[in-house]
Amino acid sequence: MALRVDLEKNEISALKQVTEWRTKKVLEIGCGNGRLTRRLARLGAHIEAIDPLPELIETARQQLPSSFAQRVRFRVGKSSRLEYATGTFDLVLFSWSL
Amino acid sequence: MVHALRQARRVLKSDGYLLDLRPAPVHRRVGLESAGSIHQLALMEEEFDDDYKANQAVEQIVDAGLLKLSTRIRFDCTRRMDRFIDFQRWLDEYIRLTKVQRPERLVEKIKDGLRTRRASAASHEGKIRIVVLGPVDLRVLLKQIG
Repeated sequence: MALRVDLEKNEISALKQVTEWRTKKVLEIGCGNGRLTRRLARLGAHIEAIDPLPELIETARQQLPSSFAQRVRFRVGKSSRLEYATGTFDLVLFSWSL
Repeated sequence: MVHALRQARRVLKSDGYLLDLRPAPVHRRVGLESAGSIHQLALMEEEFDDDYKANQAVEQIVDAGLLKLSTRIRFDCTRRMDRFIDFQRWLDEYIRLTKVQRPERLVEKIKDGLRTRRASAASHEGKIRIVVLGPVDLRVLLKQIG
């Protein structure tokens, strides 16, 4: 791999430190290519991940391991217009996107 | 940004948490890593107007009693790139999201640094990578009913 982000895993350590992720229903806003989404899925979260760029969503879908397919869904979407019912999620994560 | 925060709060359960994860408004450091040590070459010249606006938006929502700051953590996040083209691609994407002053000067510094290092590098130094270092902030905000 040509670009490696956070080999030290400081980011996922911080996220694990602040809350429990297993079985939590999570909305990730600004998921990009799904780099962080995959790490959160490994923690057992159920994730709706959105990003405004369709090409990044396509990449994210392609890179998602099939073992996470039941718990992770990628969609094109914007933070300004969240098409989810009120009170849906345990956690909302602005992923480098606010 | 305030609208986005209000939207995010709306879709949270009553005891839900909003997590705001983003680079801290601190200039990234760029350098070369080899044999386990990092030699800094340049400091990026980002503009942080959007970061300050995002911070103000969070403060506004907290002041309105809609969210309550629970935890704040700052940690280091490092990117490692094997080739100059990887750095160039990363920089192009970064510039798309963040205003950076004189990126061409940064690129020249990295190119020069790589040339110099490779010319003088002894074989025992092993692979030389470009690294970008900078802190990331994680804020955790608890939904307030009101």
